[in-house]
Amino acid sequence: MIWNSNGELGPGEARNRQRDRKQWLYIGFAGAIGGVIGLFTGIFDQGDGSLFTGDWADLKLPPALAILLAVMLFGGFVVLPISGFRMIDDYKREQNLIGFTGGCVSVLAGFPIWAALHAGGFSPAPHAFGVFAIAFVSMTASFLYARWRL
Amino acid sequence: MKNRLKVLRAERDWSQAELAERLDVSRQAVNAIETGKHDPSLPLAFRIARLFDMRIEDIFDDGDVA
Repeated sequence: MIWNSNGELGPGEARNRQRDRKQWLYIGFAGAIGGVIGLFTGIFDQGDGSLFTGDWADLKLPPALAILLAVMLFGGFVVLPISGFRMIDDYKREQNLIGFTGGCVSVLAGFPIWAALHAGGFSPAPHAFGVFAIAFVSMTASFLYARWRL
Repeated sequence: MKNRLKVLRAERDWSQAELAERLDVSRQAVNAIETGKHDPSLPLAFRIARLFDMRIEDIFDDGDVA
Protein backbone atom coordinates (compact mmCIF):
# COMPACT_ATOMS: atom_id res chain seq x y z
CA MET A 1 0.00 0.00 0.00
CA ILE A 2 1.41 3.33 -1.08
CA TRP A 3 -0.79 5.56 1.04
CA ASN A 4 -0.55 4.82 4.73
CA SER A 5 -3.00 5.86 7.38
CA ASN A 6 -0.64 4.96 10.20
CA GLY A 7 1.62 7.93 9.69
CA GLU A 8 4.32 6.19 7.67
CA LEU A 9 5.30 7.91 4.45
CA GLY A 10 4.94 6.19 1.10
CA PRO A 11 7.85 6.40 -1.35
CA GLY A 12 6.20 9.08 -3.49
CA GLU A 13 5.24 11.25 -0.53
CA ALA A 14 8.69 10.87 0.99
CA ARG A 15 10.22 11.98 -2.33
CA ASN A 16 7.85 14.95 -2.52
CA ARG A 17 8.64 16.03 1.04
CA GLN A 18 12.37 15.64 0.43
CA ARG A 19 11.98 17.71 -2.74
CA ASP A 20 10.05 20.39 -0.83
CA ARG A 21 12.71 20.48 1.90
CA LYS A 22 15.45 20.88 -0.69
CA GLN A 23 13.54 23.63 -2.45
CA TRP A 24 13.11 25.59 0.78
CA LEU A 25 16.77 25.00 1.60
CA TYR A 26 17.75 26.39 -1.79
CA ILE A 27 15.45 29.39 -1.39
CA GLY A 28 16.92 30.10 2.04
CA PHE A 29 20.45 29.69 0.70
CA ALA A 30 19.71 32.02 -2.22
CA GLY A 31 18.30 34.60 0.21
CA ALA A 32 21.38 34.29 2.41
CA ILE A 33 23.64 34.76 -0.62
CA GLY A 34 21.68 37.88 -1.59
CA GLY A 35 21.96 39.24 1.94
CA VAL A 36 25.70 38.60 2.14
CA ILE A 37 26.27 40.20 -1.26
CA GLY A 38 24.29 43.28 -0.26
CA LEU A 39 26.06 43.49 3.10
CA PHE A 40 29.56 43.12 1.65
CA THR A 41 28.85 45.53 -1.16
CA GLY A 42 27.56 48.11 1.29
CA ILE A 43 30.42 47.71 3.76
CA PHE A 44 33.37 47.37 1.39
CA ASP A 45 32.33 49.61 -1.50
CA GLN A 46 35.29 51.99 -1.92
CA GLY A 47 34.03 54.06 -4.83
CA ASP A 48 31.41 56.68 -5.50
CA GLY A 49 29.31 54.67 -7.92
CA SER A 50 25.82 53.33 -7.47
CA LEU A 51 24.01 50.32 -8.86
CA PHE A 52 20.81 52.28 -9.18
CA THR A 53 21.96 55.37 -11.04
CA GLY A 54 24.13 53.57 -13.57
CA ASP A 55 27.55 55.09 -12.75
CA TRP A 56 29.19 51.68 -12.69
CA ALA A 57 32.64 52.99 -13.55
CA ASP A 58 32.96 54.46 -10.07
CA LEU A 59 32.10 51.23 -8.23
CA LYS A 60 35.17 49.85 -6.45
CA LEU A 61 35.57 46.65 -4.43
CA PRO A 62 38.65 44.83 -3.12
CA PRO A 63 39.68 42.27 -5.83
CA ALA A 64 39.33 39.22 -3.55
CA LEU A 65 35.85 40.30 -2.49
CA ALA A 66 34.91 40.96 -6.09
CA ILE A 67 35.91 37.38 -7.03
CA LEU A 68 34.02 36.00 -4.03
CA LEU A 69 30.90 37.93 -5.00
CA ALA A 70 31.21 36.74 -8.61
CA VAL A 71 31.36 33.13 -7.43
CA MET A 72 28.37 33.64 -5.14
CA LEU A 73 26.39 35.32 -7.91
CA PHE A 74 27.19 32.42 -10.22
CA GLY A 75 25.91 30.04 -7.56
CA GLY A 76 22.79 32.08 -6.89
CA PHE A 77 21.82 32.82 -10.49
CA VAL A 78 23.08 29.74 -12.35
CA VAL A 79 23.74 26.71 -10.13
CA LEU A 80 20.76 27.01 -7.78
CA PRO A 81 18.12 27.72 -10.47
CA ILE A 82 19.35 24.87 -12.68
CA SER A 83 19.48 22.48 -9.72
CA GLY A 84 15.98 23.52 -8.72
CA PHE A 85 14.73 23.18 -12.29
CA ARG A 86 15.81 19.53 -12.32
CA MET A 87 13.81 18.78 -9.16
CA ILE A 88 10.38 20.04 -10.18
CA ASP A 89 7.60 18.28 -12.10
CA ASP A 90 6.09 19.20 -15.48
CA TYR A 91 3.53 21.59 -14.04
CA LYS A 92 5.97 23.63 -11.98
CA ARG A 93 8.47 23.54 -14.87
CA GLU A 94 5.79 25.13 -17.07
CA GLN A 95 5.28 27.89 -14.50
CA ASN A 96 9.03 28.52 -14.40
CA LEU A 97 9.21 28.66 -18.19
CA ILE A 98 6.39 31.23 -18.23
CA GLY A 99 8.39 33.25 -15.69
CA PHE A 100 11.58 33.06 -17.78
CA THR A 101 9.64 34.00 -20.91
CA GLY A 102 8.12 37.02 -19.16
CA GLY A 103 11.58 38.19 -18.09
CA CYS A 104 13.07 37.68 -21.54
CA VAL A 105 10.23 39.40 -23.43
CA SER A 106 10.31 42.34 -21.02
CA VAL A 107 14.01 42.93 -21.73
CA LEU A 108 13.57 42.52 -25.48
CA ALA A 109 10.81 45.13 -25.43
CA GLY A 110 11.90 47.16 -22.42
CA PHE A 111 15.37 48.17 -23.54
CA PRO A 112 14.41 49.70 -26.92
CA ILE A 113 11.36 51.37 -25.36
CA TRP A 114 13.55 52.84 -22.63
CA ALA A 115 16.10 53.97 -25.25
CA ALA A 116 13.37 55.60 -27.32
CA LEU A 117 11.98 57.40 -24.26
CA HIS A 118 15.51 58.56 -23.41
CA ALA A 119 16.01 59.84 -26.95
CA GLY A 120 12.81 61.83 -26.55
CA GLY A 121 14.00 63.31 -23.28
CA PHE A 122 11.53 61.43 -21.11
CA SER A 123 13.90 59.27 -19.06
CA PRO A 124 17.55 58.86 -18.07
CA ALA A 125 19.72 56.76 -20.40
CA PRO A 126 19.26 52.99 -20.20
CA HIS A 127 21.78 51.30 -17.92
CA ALA A 128 22.72 47.73 -17.11
CA PHE A 129 21.22 47.51 -13.65
CA GLY A 130 17.94 48.95 -14.88
CA VAL A 131 17.76 46.30 -17.60
CA PHE A 132 18.61 43.62 -15.03
CA ALA A 133 15.88 44.95 -12.76
CA ILE A 134 13.34 44.87 -15.60
CA ALA A 135 14.22 41.23 -16.25
CA PHE A 136 14.14 40.23 -12.60
CA VAL A 137 10.92 42.00 -11.66
CA SER A 138 9.01 40.96 -14.77
CA MET A 139 10.24 37.37 -14.42
CA THR A 140 8.99 37.27 -10.84
CA ALA A 141 5.67 38.88 -11.79
CA SER A 142 5.19 36.45 -14.70
CA PHE A 143 5.91 33.49 -12.46
CA LEU A 144 3.45 34.67 -9.83
CA TYR A 145 0.82 35.25 -12.51
CA ALA A 146 1.34 31.72 -13.82
CA ARG A 147 1.30 30.32 -10.31
CA TRP A 148 -1.90 31.99 -9.09
CA ARG A 149 -3.96 33.01 -12.11
CA LEU A 150 -3.40 30.49 -14.92
CA MET B 1 -8.06 19.21 -22.73
CA LYS B 2 -10.90 17.40 -21.00
CA ASN B 3 -10.10 14.36 -18.91
CA ARG B 4 -11.70 11.84 -16.55
CA LEU B 5 -8.98 12.00 -13.94
CA LYS B 6 -11.19 13.41 -11.19
CA VAL B 7 -13.87 10.74 -11.79
CA LEU B 8 -11.33 7.92 -11.91
CA ARG B 9 -9.72 9.19 -8.74
CA ALA B 10 -13.07 9.48 -6.97
CA GLU B 11 -14.02 5.94 -8.02
CA ARG B 12 -10.98 4.70 -6.14
CA ASP B 13 -11.57 7.05 -3.22
CA TRP B 14 -8.16 8.61 -3.58
CA SER B 15 -7.31 12.16 -2.58
CA GLN B 16 -5.37 14.43 -4.92
CA ALA B 17 -2.36 14.01 -2.64
CA GLU B 18 -2.61 10.23 -2.83
CA LEU B 19 -2.86 10.25 -6.62
CA ALA B 20 0.07 12.68 -6.76
CA GLU B 21 2.08 10.31 -4.65
CA ARG B 22 1.29 7.37 -6.92
CA LEU B 23 2.29 9.42 -9.99
CA ASP B 24 5.32 10.99 -8.28
CA VAL B 25 4.20 14.55 -9.07
CA SER B 26 3.06 17.44 -6.89
CA ARG B 27 -0.53 17.69 -5.65
CA GLN B 28 -0.76 21.02 -7.48
CA ALA B 29 0.03 19.21 -10.74
CA VAL B 30 -2.84 16.75 -10.18
CA ASN B 31 -5.20 19.62 -9.38
CA ALA B 32 -4.10 21.54 -12.49
CA ILE B 33 -4.64 18.49 -14.72
CA GLU B 34 -8.06 17.76 -13.23
CA THR B 35 -9.22 21.34 -13.73
CA GLY B 36 -7.87 21.47 -17.28
CA LYS B 37 -5.31 24.15 -16.51
CA HIS B 38 -2.40 21.93 -17.42
CA ASP B 39 -1.95 19.19 -20.01
CA PRO B 40 0.37 16.45 -18.80
CA SER B 41 3.48 15.49 -20.74
CA LEU B 42 3.32 12.28 -22.75
CA PRO B 43 5.39 10.31 -20.19
CA LEU B 44 3.07 11.46 -17.40
CA ALA B 45 0.01 10.63 -19.50
CA PHE B 46 1.39 7.10 -19.93
CA ARG B 47 1.99 6.82 -16.18
CA ILE B 48 -1.60 7.91 -15.53
CA ALA B 49 -2.93 5.41 -18.09
CA ARG B 50 -0.90 2.57 -16.59
CA LEU B 51 -2.00 3.47 -13.07
CA PHE B 52 -5.67 3.22 -14.04
CA ASP B 53 -5.02 0.33 -16.44
CA MET B 54 -6.62 2.23 -19.30
CA ARG B 55 -5.63 3.71 -22.65
CA ILE B 56 -4.59 7.39 -22.74
CA GLU B 57 -7.49 8.23 -25.08
CA ASP B 58 -9.92 6.67 -22.61
CA ILE B 59 -8.80 9.18 -19.98
CA PHE B 60 -8.02 12.29 -22.04
CA ASP B 61 -10.23 13.83 -24.70
CA ASP B 62 -8.82 16.51 -27.00
CA GLY B 63 -12.28 17.15 -28.51
CA ASP B 64 -11.22 15.95 -31.96
CA VAL B 65 -13.98 13.60 -33.12
CA ALA B 66 -12.21 12.67 -36.38
